[in-house]
Amino acid sequence: MISITDDIIIRTVSRVLVPFIQIYALYVIMHGHYSPGGGFQGGVILGASFILYLITHGLKDAKKRISELKAGLFSSFGLLIYSGIGLLCLILGSNYLDYGRLSTILRVIPAQARSLGILGVEIGVGIAVMAVMFSIFFDISTGGVLPEDEEGLGVRDE
Amino acid sequence: MSNFLLFLGIGLFTLVFLCLYRGIFGPGILNRIAAISAIGTKTLVILLIMGFIYNRVDMFIDISMVYALLNFIGTITAAKYLEKEGEV
Amino acid sequence: MEVTVLVQAVYKAFEILEKGKNSEKAREEARELLYTSAKFTSETKSLTEKQEARALLLSAKQPRLALRNFTLTFFILFAFWILLSGRFDYFHLTLGGICSVLVAYLSHDLLFFNIRLGDFRTRARRFLQAGPWFLGQIFSANLHVAYLALSPKMPIDPQIIRFKTKLESDISWVGLANSITLTPGTITVDIREGEFFVHALDRKVAYDLNTGEMEDKIAHVIMEADHVYIQDVLDVASIFGALK
Repeated sequence: MISITDDIIIRTVSRVLVPFIQIYALYVIMHGHYSPGGGFQGGVILGASFILYLITHGLKDAKKRISELKAGLFSSFGLLIYSGIGLLCLILGSNYLDYGRLSTILRVIPAQARSLGILGVEIGVGIAVMAVMFSIFFDISTGGVLPEDEEGLGVRDE
Repeated sequence: MSNFLLFLGIGLFTLVFLCLYRGIFGPGILNRIAAISAIGTKTLVILLIMGFIYNRVDMFIDISMVYALLNFIGTITAAKYLEKEGEV
Repeated sequence: MEVTVLVQAVYKAFEILEKGKNSEKAREEARELLYTSAKFTSETKSLTEKQEARALLLSAKQPRLALRNFTLTFFILFAFWILLSGRFDYFHLTLGGICSVLVAYLSHDLLFFNIRLGDFRTRARRFLQAGPWFLGQIFSANLHVAYLALSPKMPIDPQIIRFKTKLESDISWVGLANSITLTPGTITVDIREGEFFVHALDRKVAYDLNTGEMEDKIAHVIMEADHVYIQDVLDVASIFGALK
């Protein structure tokens, strides 16, 4: 059971840093074309921001912010975006993840459609990676056992 | 300018070995954690110097910011683990 | 912190007297307020109770707090996005806007937790005025520590100082702790129940810290407990003495 830090300096500094880390993670995802980054790297940084909040502010506050249910839903949602774009390309009559065909929907030239398609896929990957990282850390740190006075997902220790 | 930065980088790199000595032989774990954190800071600056030498700073700034972040989170986690003696 | 509570209680008592036009009922109410505040500050010991009482007394009636926090967070995050990515075409700016809105929605209560924002422009102006003073402090402390480290017999005298501070909120404590750590020669070790434990390298550095100048500058920027000195305590004490 991760408890809240007594140290007020670490608590306050982490609280101020978390939004900036999240904006940096979204910057890394969106600028995957131009500088080192992309979906997976940005997802890791986004997950790291939630883990920082979890470590410094304890389990209860972190669960209020992003519960286990939401983490599971987000990972599936990211996967849905990824495979949804792929299936969309398949429906439009070409190969799976052949983004050139998206130009018929979006009304841009095929090269730009490929760029946008890759960006969409990276966003999906980023969301999925963030949710899975948070969920793995959560499960390993609590060992699947939640405190008795909370209801939620998990195995109760008899 | 490039030569000056190169010597600066090599100087910092030799300082990393001093910290590494503490990291290996430091009596106790707290010395080792502080040494690794200091090595992380020096790595950050060496990455930036490499960016200046290759004339593509914008790429290396992103990488060094990520490394600074991970160093910070790692040190806080290790410190909290040691404070609570086995639990985080 | 106790002095601020008492000073605020005196202001509020004067307000009550003015509104009631010095009638008997208003005087009774003001007297009761001063009695309770005096009893409260002399009896409570825990920090959280004092902070709650301060919040209650200052009666921060700021409407639409969440919306103000949200917009401020959005602007700061958007400025940070523009700083990170130097591209100013519409596509990236729109992406930046969407990402800033998303992050601001997820964590808008994190940046400005219990800050009474007061007058934002005054705080920004005072922050810019206090900046060069801090840099000057860091510079002179650097020279002093370099002299200490390089002289052959190294006349250091390490000691841990402990002092109570007149600042009230979390952010000002952390700001003071970070300024003390940034100045070479002093490191903040811990903050417990409003008391600072600072490790200082030398007697001169400790003396510079004890004058309370840095605390006063930070209080001036954050606009709380501003220029609260011994004189205020003496004034307040005379008013409370006349009550008895």
